[in-house]
This record gives sequence, structure tokens and C-alpha cells, in this order.
Amino acid sequence: MKSATEQLLGYIERNIARTLADCTTCGKCFDACPMTQYSDRLPGKSGGEVVAGIRSLLEGAGGTPEALEWTRLCTQSARCIPACPENVNPMLMMRLARITALGSTGGPALLPDGKRDPHFFRRINAFSALQLSESELADWQR
Amino acid sequence: MAAMRERVVFWYGCNAVRHGDIIHSAIELLRAVGIDSDPAGGPAYCCGTAKDGNLDAAAGMAARTVEKFNATGHAKVVTWCPSCHRHAGTFMSGVNPAQFEVSHITGMLHERRHLLVSRLTHAIERRVVLHSHSGFHEVDAYPLIADLLRLIPGLDLVVTDYEAPGHMCSAIAAVPAALKDVMRRSVDLCAAHESDTLVTAFHSCQRLLCGLATTDSIKVVNYVNLLVEAMGLTPPPDEYAQWKNAGSEAAIRAQIGPARIAKIGAEFFAGQMVPELLKRPEK
Repeated sequence: MKSATEQLLGYIERNIARTLADCTTCGKCFDACPMTQYSDRLPGKSGGEVVAGIRSLLEGAGGTPEALEWTRLCTQSARCIPACPENVNPMLMMRLARITALGSTGGPALLPDGKRDPHFFRRINAFSALQLSESELADWQR
Repeated sequence: MAAMRERVVFWYGCNAVRHGDIIHSAIELLRAVGIDSDPAGGPAYCCGTAKDGNLDAAAGMAARTVEKFNATGHAKVVTWCPSCHRHAGTFMSGVNPAQFEVSHITGMLHERRHLLVSRLTHAIERRVVLHSHSGFHEVDAYPLIADLLRLIPGLDLVVTDYEAPGHMCSAIAAVPAALKDVMRRSVDLCAAHESDTLVTAFHSCQRLLCGLATTDSIKVVNYVNLLVEAMGLTPPPDEYAQWKNAGSEAAIRAQIGPARIAKIGAEFFAGQMVPELLKRPEK
């Protein structure tokens, strides 16, 4: 039986394969993105070229600096989804790009993981302790 | 015709625990529309969505949480958090098959709003602006919330065409310039519509915007608390917002009190919680 990690990796790999099979690098997802304005590197870039970099990242070839920058900036606005003429779900494509860029699929880490916070869960537990009763903590959070 | 009562898991997620008021009000609203809930949340029910950089952890959390929900025997899990909802429908289901249906609370309340309307008897004479995001594409939550808020007598709801990026404010926090824009636009919208109240849909928007009470005299309130108020009940206090707007570390400590601070540890409170509570929205 496959482990949970193997199941998750399988899910990721299947979705990467589907994305690579369907994306035509038209670049419309990039053009629709509201986050590119927050980069010095991305305004004026060709959507098709940046998405080709995302494909390269998903293929394990390292992507391009522009693709990594777009991956870093993605906040899941979902504006890319209706913009895609191929029904690819570019927002999922960007999530897969992020997972790949963090080195989670076996390649090198190309982006820092800004969500690594050693106190993340302890803070949540602490705020829980301030806001919920002992019985709620026992019944709802264990 | 009254709907049959239903029992579900109400999965409020991790970070919503900063807002116990939201969790309690959401449970009250579900009860009002005939849904009894077994609430579940906190780290022990994390979906794993924040663990893209550690797939072992992401997979373990996803598998564990699905297993716990499967073990409840409930046919339905009602989500609060858009991140959890999204993750449940994608990566989590890829790890461990779910034996339950997942529905978002906005859909559940909206579907049964005929049961809510007779309970909303208390007028709230206030003009409010709905704060929205574009990113929760799995559920068209904002029109549902707007419909619910329009049931409140006296409430003057302003729905604008501005949608912040991301699925909630925490998604944007990694890009500080974008979050500043959202803060600025939110304040501008309130001014343009002569409103002093911003209504949030999700907990992280409440968390990151509630400090606008101090910086811009804008009250930030979650929609579930408005609905509970309209039911003639006193919503639980938004303590997080009270702490955020307390004005100083001393005032925060006074509000929380030494007994509660001791419960979580004085050192951790000082190092990890006070800085968050003192941080103001930046524009």
C-alpha cells in the first residue's frame, strides 16, 4: 500500500502531467494576473514566455527567473481561471509550480519557503486557549 | 416548509481560532437553519495546505484529517475556511478518499435562508461595505453572503465591484505592497460610500483589517456576527479586534488578564503574540 506522501506525490505528478499536456503557453493567464504589477521584473513581459518558464519548472528543468518570480507572487486570485481558453486551471498550475520550486517533488529548492514558521501551530493553540473554553478545546480540537 | 434537522461536522480550520466569536456565531447560525454541528478545528484538524514545502507533513495532515472525518460517520463536512475547502477538494482527496460530502457554510446558510429570515427580527440601521476577494472560485461566496445580509432589517449593504486578489487577505500578506493596496482601497471604498463599517467574509480578512478601527475609525465586522445580532442575540465579543485596537501592550495585557496569559506561557505570549497584536494595518 502506498504511503500518504506517495499518494500526494502521485496526485501532484498526475496534475503536472495533465497541465503540461493541455497548456498551449498562450500566456492569457499571465496577462490576467493582478499580481504582476507588484514586481519590477514582470511588467511588459510576454505571457507566453513566462508560462513557457512555468512549463520548464514543472518539467523539472528549473524554469526561468521570470517564472520563479511569478510563482512567488501568486496569491491565488483565480483571475487566471476564466482567462484560460483550454480549461487548464492555471491557478492549480501555479500551485504545482510553487510545490516544485520549493523542492518538494525531488528537485532543488529554487524559492524560499516563506511559510516555514516554527511557531505557526503553537500560536494557533495559544489563541485557541485564549478564545475557547476547556471543554471546547477538548471536544473540538483533539 | 421546515427542513429536517441535519448533523454535520463544522470544520472551522486552524487560523479561525483567533476569532472565537466567529466560530461561535457560525455554530449559532447553523443551528438556526436546522443544522446541528460537531465543530472541529485547530492544528489537530489541519488540512496541510500551508505545507507545500514539506510534502511528508502535508500528506500526513491531509490523511489524518480525512480519516478523522471519515470516522465521525457524518455524511457532510461544512467548511468555514476557503483554503481548507479548496484543499479538501483537491490535494486532500488525492491522499485519502473521503467518505463525506464537503459543503461551504455560505452555501448551507444560503440554501436554508428561508429558515433564517423569520429569525432576523432585530434591525441594524447601518450602512456597511462588503469586503470581497476574487480567489475563492470553488464557491461564489460573496453573492451568497450579500443575499444573507440583505435579509437584515435596516441594513444598507453596499456591494462594490472591487475584488481584492487572493481568496482572503492572508493570501496577499506575502506581498506587502499588494496588502497595502487592499487596505487603502478598503478605506477609500468606505469613504466613497459614506460608511464606517466594513464587513468581512473570512477570518483572515477580519484579522488583518480589524486594526482599521484604530488607524481609520472603520469598524470591521464579520458577516456571521451581523446575522447573529439581527437575530436579537448579543454576538460574542470580537476579542481579537479588541486586543488589536487596545492601543498598547499594557492595555492588551490588561484586557486578556494574567490568568489567561499564564495559561499559554508569559514568554511565548510576549514573543509571539504581542507583536502580532501590536501590528497595525499599513497603507
